[in-house]
Formats: sequence, C-alpha cells, structure tokens
Amino acid sequence: MSWIGLDRLLLTPDASRQVTPDLDHAELCRRALHLGGQLRGQQVQRVALYLEDAADLAIALLGAWQAGVQVLLPADAQAQTRLQLASRIDLWLDALDPAGAAAPLQAHALDLDQCRLTLCTSGSSGEAKLIDKNLRQLSNEVAALEQLWGETLGDAVIVASVAAQHIYGLLFRVLWPLCAGRAFLRRAQPFPEDMQRTSLEQPGFAWVASPALLKRMGDNLDWTALQPLRRVFSSGGALPVEAAQLLHAQLGQWPTEIYGSSETGGIAWRQGDTPWQPFAGIELSVDAEGALRLTSPYLPSGHCEQTADAVELLGDGRFLLRGRLDRIVKLEEKRISLPMLEQALMAHAWVGDARLGVIQQGRAFLGALLALSPAGVHALRNQGRRSVTDTLRQHLAGHCEAIALPRRWRLLSQLPYSSQGKLAQARVEALLAAPRPTLVEPLSAVEHDGEWQLELEVPLDLAHFSGHFPQTPVLPGVVQIDWAQQLARQLIEQLPPRFVGMEVLKFQQLVRPGDALQLSLRFDASRGKLYFTFRNGDKACSSGRILLGPEQ
Amino acid sequence: MSDLQLEIKHLIIEALGLEDMVAADIGADLPLFGEGLGLDSVDALELGLAIQKRFGIKIDAEAKDTRQHFANVASLTAFVAARQTA
Repeated sequence: MSWIGLDRLLLTPDASRQVTPDLDHAELCRRALHLGGQLRGQQVQRVALYLEDAADLAIALLGAWQAGVQVLLPADAQAQTRLQLASRIDLWLDALDPAGAAAPLQAHALDLDQCRLTLCTSGSSGEAKLIDKNLRQLSNEVAALEQLWGETLGDAVIVASVAAQHIYGLLFRVLWPLCAGRAFLRRAQPFPEDMQRTSLEQPGFAWVASPALLKRMGDNLDWTALQPLRRVFSSGGALPVEAAQLLHAQLGQWPTEIYGSSETGGIAWRQGDTPWQPFAGIELSVDAEGALRLTSPYLPSGHCEQTADAVELLGDGRFLLRGRLDRIVKLEEKRISLPMLEQALMAHAWVGDARLGVIQQGRAFLGALLALSPAGVHALRNQGRRSVTDTLRQHLAGHCEAIALPRRWRLLSQLPYSSQGKLAQARVEALLAAPRPTLVEPLSAVEHDGEWQLELEVPLDLAHFSGHFPQTPVLPGVVQIDWAQQLARQLIEQLPPRFVGMEVLKFQQLVRPGDALQLSLRFDASRGKLYFTFRNGDKACSSGRILLGPEQ
Repeated sequence: MSDLQLEIKHLIIEALGLEDMVAADIGADLPLFGEGLGLDSVDALELGLAIQKRFGIKIDAEAKDTRQHFANVASLTAFVAARQTA
C-alpha cells in the first residue's frame, strides 16, 4: 500500500491497487478520464453529482476535476433542492454510463487550489447553505487522517453505514481510502446485520458509521466474528455514552468519534467519554456567547469559522462540548433548520403561526405546534384533523427530507407567546410532549345569584375528535355532561360526590372544534340536581340535569 | 386481516410514534419505506429492533433479503410467522 496525493490519483494507473473489491485503480483511472472527456465535450462547467455508489462518485469526482469542472454535492435529490440548484449547475448526474464512448482526457496533476467542491447543508436562515472547498483543504484533511490512523487500519476494507454525499462519508469512505490504497465498499449498509455480513466477506475491515447505527446495534451480532474490526468511526452527531460503552464491552475498543461540520471539516476526535482532542494545526477560541471559533488547515487559509456549538476549553488544549446555541437541530445526524420548516408551514393558507420542536421517544422526531388560520379552522371542522395534518405533511414534503416531516401535531387557536412576545423552545417542546387535551379550561367564570356563567373555547385539538368523527369532528354529548360536572366540582363547594343519573337531556346543536361556548351551571341542593346549559351565542347546544347523591 | 398483521401494524404505529395513524391506514401491501408510508432508514432500524424484541426472534445476519422482509406489512408478517415456527 502506498499513499497517492489527491491531486495525483489519475497519473499512474495501477491494476494491483484495489479501489473496491471489484474495481481496480487502473479501471478507475480509465473510467474517470473517459468521463472527463465526456464532460469537456459537452462543455459542462458545473456539475451536480448525486451517486449512491461510492466508486461511481470517486470516478465522477476525479473525472470532473480532471476536466476542470466544478463539482456540487447536493444533500438530497428532492424536487425543491433540484429547483434551487438549477441555476448553479449545467448538469445533474445521478447515474454513470459505463460504456463511456467519449475520448479520454490526458491525465495531469490537479491544481489543489483551483479544483473546487461545493457541499450543501441546511443554514440557519432556512435556505440550503452552500459550502465551497478547494482540493487543498480536502487533501490536508485526508493526509492528517492517514497520519493518525493509517497504521492501525492497514489494509482494512472500509465498510460504511453513511452516505458519501456529505463531508464525513466523502472523506472517510471515499477520498481517504482512495489516497491510501485501501479498498472500500460501494454501497452504504443501513442495517447492523448488513454491516456484519458485508464485513465478514472481507479479510480485514473498519467501519465508517454514525450514531444512528451504533445506538441500535441490537443483540443479534456475532461479536466474536467481528473481532477483526480494526476501528469504528462515528460522526455526524453526538454518540450516546451507552452506545460507545456497548462497543467497548463487545469489541475491547472505543469507537473513534469525530466532531466537525460541513463548514469546518473535522475539528476534533475522542475515544470514550473523554474531552475532545483537536486535529493538528487547528486553533480554537471561544466567543462572548461561549461558542467555538476556529482556524484550521481544512478551512480557507486565514479564515476564522464561527460555530454555534458551546464549548469549554480545557488547559491541555482539549475541550468539552456543551450543546448547540441556535435553532438548527440534528435528527439522526441530519441537520434540520427549524426556521426553514416553520416558514414553509406558514406559507400554507391553513397555518397562521408555527413552531417546531424535537420529541425524543425511541427515536427523535419533529413535532409541530400550529396556530391555525381561519381557513385552517374551517378545514379542520369540515374535513377533520387527519386531513389537515396529511395535507400539511404533503405540503412540507416538497421542502425537506422525509426525516424532517413532523410526526406529531398540536393544533391551537394561537401560540402561547409571553407578554414579551417570546416562546421558549423548552415550552414548545413541553407542549408537544403532552398528550392531546381531553378537558377545557374556562376563559372566565362568574357567579350571580347562585348561577355560574362560564366562557369556554372548545380546543381544536381535543383528543375526543379523532374518533368522533374522523372527518367531521363533533363534541360528544357524554363529554359535554362530563365537562359540566367537572367544572361544577371546581366551582361549587360541597357538591355531593356521587353521580346518580340524568334527567331531561337535550342535544339541539352540534358543538365543533373552536366553538365559543357559554356554560351555565346551577346546583339545587334541596333536590340534589345540577342544572347545565351549553349555548353557542343565542343557540342552545345542550341542556339537562345531573342527579347527584351522597357517598353510599 | 390476520391477528399477527394487526399486531405488527400496531407495533409500527407505536414504535415509530405515528400518533395520527390507525391500523386501518396501513394496507398490508403499502410500501413502508420511501413512497407509501414514507419511513426512513432510521425507522427501519427502530422497527427491526422492535420486531426482534416483541416476537423474540432474530434477523438473520447471514441473509441478504432483510430489506425485502421489511417491504410491507404482508412481507413482515410472513417473515415473523416463519421465524416464530422455525
């Protein structure tokens, strides 16, 4: 195995050097130079590559750079993404033509400062954020990785669970092994069982994985057979301590966690629950808010990158991570901009206001707290909740990946902003975590001559509406009787505790989500009867007498 | 619909937090991933764990057809039934 710099990979085709178990380096060079010839023939200057096969991605990257073409790696292949990027590219390439009829280019060493790669990730403002890199930055990083871990990896085949479209997968499972002469597998493996099976087909192997996989290893793997696993890398998000401990217990080694971002590349690494060790040449500082800033050989020279990660620097150069300071969240390593999704939701005619939060229940997912517009309330009353949430999910599906689609919805008439106009994220998440309401809070309650008058607003999101009825939510009569009795018990002292029966029940008018109701309550102690009437304006909705008796 | 199918549908709803869904929404041949129910690879992992735990079975680490078993409720039911009797 010998190291070839990222700029010289196509210069000396070597059939004895494996790129993947079924592709050698000579064939990689041949195909890359043909593809370069094809791109030049088509006068392509900027190409977007969306290739799930990591070997195809390597061929296309090297071919494009050889032809002087700028490369963009979209984060996903959503229609919205393609539309947004359309003006920036001449060609969207999501499959390679293996025949490659065009005349090949002559191989020459690449100019590390001229060859460009653009990565995509979500920015805090909402729009997809484009991050430009030159080949020198990437080249510095893969060289540093080899310096640190090349020896322990040796000729291990790289098996990955993550896509190669993002910085971590691109560096760890494509560019680094390419330069090192280490073979990698073409396809990302989503299941632990698949990671094991494809690994055990190789004599030696190392894993490029993520917390999404490592915290769900199950109890089904043959850890004894996996002992030859040389190293497990994890990046993209925080790895829970328990997941690291499991690997340590089963394999006798801690996973190697990499902390970094698309903007910065790798920043630091650690094994086990220890402080983070910055990569060589990275200078760290902390701003007034406690957020990390850094310069790095993987950033443009002289550039100081501001992150939104709170850190605590230790005396020995290492540091502790203290969480994010902005409203970009990570779901299973995917960065999701909450402001972007909120804007997209508010663009829908049914939504007046929207706040999103993360719910952690088994897996982490998003929940949406919505204030419906009058049109939204109309839709809810006439089509039901499922129809509303399905429509909004479909509306959002054009703006984001499936992982970011809210799975839980809480519908309100308005969001509970504080008097300063603030709504803390913790409050949003508490509201999302709570079950849908079954009761109603009176807006006011006034007593006059032994009769109580209450103002109520029927919650849009009342749990009873889902079954009663799915497409036409109506407040069940039994719930009205229950509310009358429960509210009376809050207001009227010494109400007999036992429900005995009912008299002259009348239901005259349907009560629907969002209705403003007036409830009158009067207790006739001599007869043990609670009189109630629900009205909606001048129309009576229901009335009756609830008979109450002493404890038996 | 078999009892096992129904149980698996409930398991999907419960394990993946699909609060607004009921079993009747998930057709036996509705694709679970991608188009259809729209689950992703993390759901696949969660569901894999939930199925193994609930039914006390193992996903065969040698088999190459794990993905096919998870295609829809019908294939998943067949897989669980075969594993339980195996």
